[in-house]
Amino acid sequence: MAAPAVPAPSPTTTPPHPAPPHPTALTRARRHLPRLGALAFLAAIGYLVIAPLVGLQRLAFEDDARGYSAAFDSPDMAETLRTTAGMALGSLVIALVLGTFLAWAATRLPPRLRLLRVLPVLPIVVPAVAAVTGWAFLFSPRPGYLNAALRNLPWWDHLDEGPVDIYTLPWIVLITGFGLTAFVYLFVSAGFGNINAELIEAAQVSGSSPAGVFFRVTLPLLRPVLVYGGFVALLLGLGQFTGPLLLGRNNGVNVLTTDMYVAVSQSPVDYGRAAAIGSPLLLFGIAVVLFQKVILGDHSRFVTHGGKAFRSGGRPSWVAVTGILLYGLVALALPLGALVVVSLSAFWSGRIQPSGFTLDNFRRVFQESGITDAIVNSLVTSVISVAIALPLGFIAASLLLKGRRFRIIRAAVDFIVAMPLGIPAVVFGAGFLLTYSREPFILYGTRTVIVLVYVTLMLPFATRMQLSGMVALGDTYLEASRTSGAGALRTNTEIVLPLLRPTLAGAGALMFVLLTHEFTASLLVRAPTTQVMGTILFDYWANGSYPLVAAIALVMTLVTSVGVFIAMSVAGSDIFEKL
Amino acid sequence: MSHVRIEGLTKRFAGKPPAVAVDNLSLEIEPGEFIVLLGPSGCGKTTTLRCLAGLETPDEGGISLGDQTVLDVRGKVNLPPNKRRIGMVFQSYALWPHMTVRRNIGYPLRTRRVPREQARTRIEEAAELVDCAALLDRYPAQLSGGQQQRVALARGLAAQPDLVLFDEPLSNLDARLRDQVRAQLHELHARLGFTAVFVTHDQSEALALGDRLAIMKAGRIEQLDTPERVFEEPATEYVAGFIGMSNRLPLLRQGEGWALASASGADGQAGAESQTVVDELPVPRSHSEVSARLRPDDLQLCPAEEKPPAHSVGLPAEVVDAQFGGRHMDVVVTVGGSRLHAQAPLTGKPWARSLSRGQRVTAWFAKDVAIYYDADGVRTAGHTPTAAVGA
Repeated sequence: MAAPAVPAPSPTTTPPHPAPPHPTALTRARRHLPRLGALAFLAAIGYLVIAPLVGLQRLAFEDDARGYSAAFDSPDMAETLRTTAGMALGSLVIALVLGTFLAWAATRLPPRLRLLRVLPVLPIVVPAVAAVTGWAFLFSPRPGYLNAALRNLPWWDHLDEGPVDIYTLPWIVLITGFGLTAFVYLFVSAGFGNINAELIEAAQVSGSSPAGVFFRVTLPLLRPVLVYGGFVALLLGLGQFTGPLLLGRNNGVNVLTTDMYVAVSQSPVDYGRAAAIGSPLLLFGIAVVLFQKVILGDHSRFVTHGGKAFRSGGRPSWVAVTGILLYGLVALALPLGALVVVSLSAFWSGRIQPSGFTLDNFRRVFQESGITDAIVNSLVTSVISVAIALPLGFIAASLLLKGRRFRIIRAAVDFIVAMPLGIPAVVFGAGFLLTYSREPFILYGTRTVIVLVYVTLMLPFATRMQLSGMVALGDTYLEASRTSGAGALRTNTEIVLPLLRPTLAGAGALMFVLLTHEFTASLLVRAPTTQVMGTILFDYWANGSYPLVAAIALVMTLVTSVGVFIAMSVAGSDIFEKL
Repeated sequence: MSHVRIEGLTKRFAGKPPAVAVDNLSLEIEPGEFIVLLGPSGCGKTTTLRCLAGLETPDEGGISLGDQTVLDVRGKVNLPPNKRRIGMVFQSYALWPHMTVRRNIGYPLRTRRVPREQARTRIEEAAELVDCAALLDRYPAQLSGGQQQRVALARGLAAQPDLVLFDEPLSNLDARLRDQVRAQLHELHARLGFTAVFVTHDQSEALALGDRLAIMKAGRIEQLDTPERVFEEPATEYVAGFIGMSNRLPLLRQGEGWALASASGADGQAGAESQTVVDELPVPRSHSEVSARLRPDDLQLCPAEEKPPAHSVGLPAEVVDAQFGGRHMDVVVTVGGSRLHAQAPLTGKPWARSLSRGQRVTAWFAKDVAIYYDADGVRTAGHTPTAAVGA
């Protein structure tokens, strides 16, 4: 093919550059519009997240830090701190070991049983209040079903109660650890998924044994994930509330979160003391978030590695199958089974009597207006909160990804959005209760305050999931739109949003699940007339109406399962891995 | 159609130290001209293109498209991409997967508010141009790579933009498809006459498509010329190396003649006296040190005992490796420590087929097919271009 016969243009003499058009006042104002918008957004989420925390601290420092002296001069404080740390660390160890084992096992499943991979995630679906009450039905010293069964064994047949006492610290730690295992599993599984199979195969071909591959290649590659997942689990462990409240509170097992709850829920209400009690959790949470932003400051952790997906290279292992099934039995089937039995019984005793099974408890759940109101409240507030959190998360994610021009605003948004993940919900609950029970916003007892605290708690999830969706989308689709003549608005509505639809649906459904579970913050901001499912369950628990508690717990689980089912069908079964 | 002018364009990327991706670059593009930016990865060609598109924020300089100033850093003008009348074709095609081919091609027309009926016919015309009329109602995922890139081409051209930008659009295609789409693109440009800037690292693409080539190095244009002149007379050693003159032979003046500078010794000038290999080269007297650049098919081989023809440089060489290449042998030889690559033709001269490692041969080239560069990599004067000596 001949080269085109175009003469070389002779070097032209450059005429002077045309004078730039003078920027008018209007164009100057328009140039600042994005910055003003970003600032307004920062102010809004800043107020939402930080105002409650500041309000709490101001009270704690009032009158020469009376709140702090009230909290830390108390003789029980040292014991509480020790219990809190012990519970966090103990459950962290259990969760790390179990979670890593399960994640490894999930890569070693035979192809026919691949579906079992979902099993370790499912405990997330069961609301914490439901799981904890389920465990109590099994291992309560006297009427617990499994305790009763164990007392039939020859070496325990002399006992009147036990051998397990679920209301003691070691068992609370164990149950908390089970709850955290699913989170560690998610992180480590995602880590396995990001390991390029060729790295593993290269090690095998180079002559490493399976164990050598695991310890010399796989585990070092997983280290960042383990560190990150470990920190998340530690934070969750420190903020753990449901288990200690339902199981430990009446038996002298106190942690910071339950102490804080008591300080604001029993008269005399002492917000200052509550704030001071929450301060160690607050500081630790902020420290971890800062540490994570500094150490993992870039978004490279969202970038998936090229090449083939992870294959462990090992043959299917029956240890893996047994391990996962056993975990599923213990962490899922046992507590749910106990709930089913109690909910069908007229009362809770150590003996199971199938002949006396009745649906009366479920009938009562749907007849008592208090309970149905709570269910409706849960659904309405969750849906509204999701509808608010999604757009907020979209804006935050866009700002984090593209707002390089606004360095400081962006860093602030990044930090604020991560805070609800680092700081326990009980601190936020107390802060919201305080902030919205007085001027300028008196919202106590309304659904609005529940929605506000829900939106706050969901900010990290809404942002992170949409951020990783956007990162996966890449820049090219957007650049193609911009160079095709589309402005930012059209690009977002016609290109970004349609392409993010699976992410949005998944994020929405996941948040719905988390919110219908929500217990901790709800318990603090609820009013006797404005309840949600978790709080009404707690009230019946406190009254000792156990069969009704079991029925409510099952209804809660059912509602969440529907949410999860919808989430998985619109966003694929890997939706939880995007956390 | 547009007269594109880039003046003093500079783009730095933050870092320690900051990386200068485009360094005070100026370029004028005539209406209807097809300019190719050619260079290895990291030379700033894609950044230059993205500055033209408005996808990067340059640190200095100005750009005008026709009578529109789209960038003037000092005057604080930097129009966003959607305010520039451009079209762009991406390396990864970037067809939106949720839109049909029709909607993809129609998108730039919708953003520019072309009336619906008119848009309809223009979409069909554009699809017709790239042989995709039958694919209009499919989704991108249902198309092959070549079809996707042709649709992307149609999308880039649909709005008849003043300037079409191509960011390595052919590099994701396999070799055969690449040639097809390249030919189609060349034909389209000849028919439609749009102004284009095309970024590539593939010299054959550049030679085939460009009205002029800009060979870039470290954010600057090293040579800007027609494909013929770039190919025959690379201005610098860098351009020569990039355009296919891969053989480099360092030479030192020794008395009246020239000797091989040892490539292995770092101090080529000082010691390492070697034999004079040629009496005279078309190089001005002022140079004492040059490197000769040669294409593989200009380096000839003959048996060691044969004498090369007159007006040529003959060098004792040793065969390192010989590969069969169809009509020729690809032979790697060492000459005084330099590795050279010769394409020895097999037609009529089956001798080259029998070459094997360690064999001593004579490598030679005609004095006037090589181009000589001084120590700074600039072409020495005194060379008169001639047609390449055919083998």
